Amino acid sequence: MNVATRALWNPIVAKEYRTRMRTWRSPLAITIYIVLLGGIGWAVFAALTVSATGFGQGPGSLGQMLFTFLILFQVALLAFITPALTAGAISGERERQTLDLLFVTPIAPFSIIWGKLLASMSFIALLLMISVPIFSLVFLFGGIELDQVISAFLVTAVTAMTLGFIGVAFSTVLRRTLAATVASYGAAFVLLAGTLLWGTLFPTEVDASVTTQSAPPAITLISPVIPLLTIATNLPVTGYGVRYKNVNNSGPAILNSSGGGQQYCMASPNGGVMCQSTTSTTPGFFQTNSVTAIPSGLFKGWQYWQANVVMQLMISLAALLFSALMLPPVRRFHLRRRRAPAPQAE
Amino acid sequence: MIAVEDLTKIYGNRAALDRVSFEVPEREIFGFVGPNGAGKTTTLRILAALLEPTAGRAFIDGSDVTRDREKVHTRIGYMPDFFGVYDQLTVGEYLDFYAACYRQPKQRRRKIVDDLLALVGMTERKNQQVDSLSRGLKQRVCLARALVHDPAVLLLDEPASGLDPRARVELREILRELQGMGKTIIISSHILPELTELCSMIGIIDHGRMRATGPVHEVIARLSSGRRLHIRVLDEKDAALEILAPLPAIRHVEAVNGTIEAEYDGDERTASDILLALTQAGIRVSSFAPVDGGLEDAFMKATSEEVG
Repeated sequence: MNVATRALWNPIVAKEYRTRMRTWRSPLAITIYIVLLGGIGWAVFAALTVSATGFGQGPGSLGQMLFTFLILFQVALLAFITPALTAGAISGERERQTLDLLFVTPIAPFSIIWGKLLASMSFIALLLMISVPIFSLVFLFGGIELDQVISAFLVTAVTAMTLGFIGVAFSTVLRRTLAATVASYGAAFVLLAGTLLWGTLFPTEVDASVTTQSAPPAITLISPVIPLLTIATNLPVTGYGVRYKNVNNSGPAILNSSGGGQQYCMASPNGGVMCQSTTSTTPGFFQTNSVTAIPSGLFKGWQYWQANVVMQLMISLAALLFSALMLPPVRRFHLRRRRAPAPQAE
Repeated sequence: MIAVEDLTKIYGNRAALDRVSFEVPEREIFGFVGPNGAGKTTTLRILAALLEPTAGRAFIDGSDVTRDREKVHTRIGYMPDFFGVYDQLTVGEYLDFYAACYRQPKQRRRKIVDDLLALVGMTERKNQQVDSLSRGLKQRVCLARALVHDPAVLLLDEPASGLDPRARVELREILRELQGMGKTIIISSHILPELTELCSMIGIIDHGRMRATGPVHEVIARLSSGRRLHIRVLDEKDAALEILAPLPAIRHVEAVNGTIEAEYDGDERTASDILLALTQAGIRVSSFAPVDGGLEDAFMKATSEEVG
């Protein structure tokens, strides 16, 4: 077995699989996951088909709407499940007093972390796989292409992975599983909702007379919500994360969209800005040719989901490196200067 | 085989270890004795390369524990003072997991597990969940776990703690067998009679300082407060005490539960002179037995005062 294989596949993975699947918790978690996801799918489907006024755009739009609800709900579910899976990965070993026993084996600390992550992420992958039949229902209605499903699942998987890596990082640093779990859920909230809140509180400020579109601050793209919305609806987000200054109150300002068509922005009664494009069918979104490309900023020209995946992978990598540096019992570096007084016992 | 040189570990302003030094030759069983908090576990954790010393050095089979950690880990079997077991794993799976961690080939692992279970007398428990075992049986599994890679050195931290007398005797037998297999063993304990029987060398540590170290009989001889005699006489106990008390070799004499206990300075010739004095005075002696002060006495002496 070469070094790479040894690092990627180690006894910890096999042991984790074995112990995880022998408890009642795993089948229960899978069952609850499927029931909730299926339940929300059924509820949305029922609501949309019964309400004639709520949706009347044909089966394609119905499929699109169902997919949107399902994929966002799936991310929310994984945000609850992943920290629970990973926050006890290292601290649990510490509490069980088995961590020292692993440290005296030739297994490298990085391999311990990797083994834990691989086992947890495999369970997440299992959840994603068993949700595929539910998601395949949207193809009955149309409006969603296979590449959209793949992109959405990629964003979802990377989000779960990021939350998993963050969970393991907290589990490495914090000695207690409870503390690590609380910190991991806090991080999940910040990742999913906090970054969106940032876009609301500190939006990109743009002069209304500027004739190009603007994107929300790059930090808001860490959250998978906007990328998933753009994937599901195939429409870029407007009216979020951008504040227009010097808006003409007497009439709408005409902005040229990057992909053609026209966008109108005007002051709304609540003091904000409302934008509408000539081709838009849904308020808050407008249709262009390069519909989901980021119009400005750090990731200009990228798809929203691409920017999201890259940023989350960077966060995951940082969390992984941090965990690998902090885990060894005898570190090669010291955060604080070592004291070296002359030893004198009492 | 094991060499510790001026090992020091400081936590905050407290020295957990203060220039501790000792050596353990190959195939010896070294008893590490000391009260709770004396520094036994700290020393063993440093030897297991799980803790970095503030100063000093330690070597296992020539490898520096702070520099050659990987090599040290292949040479030692470490058994901490807790069990460290996983739920949901059987005894066989538990040992197989650690054998895999020590990179034992899959085809060899089954034999390793079977051999170790036979060594610790748990073959019939192979398919039992580790978590459901009694304390004594868990301790045996943990000892087997420390042996999965056939280490040359065993570091055992309080292995007999919490075990019933039968389990202790069985553990002692297993350790003797391991010594016969060529293992060098450091065993920390506060159960002194067991160490006296089991260990060939001993180190007494207190407040982070090594108070005495060396072969067991030498340490006992060095630290014992004097030789003792247990004497039984027929009827004339008071007369015997009157005869013994003035003798120049006698340091202290008293009657305890029908037996005269005398502490004296000297050797076996002195003891025979004391017996001669009693018999010449007409005292009828029914029993005359020199008593070894023992490890307990040495330990109390070592931990109650500074030893040079």
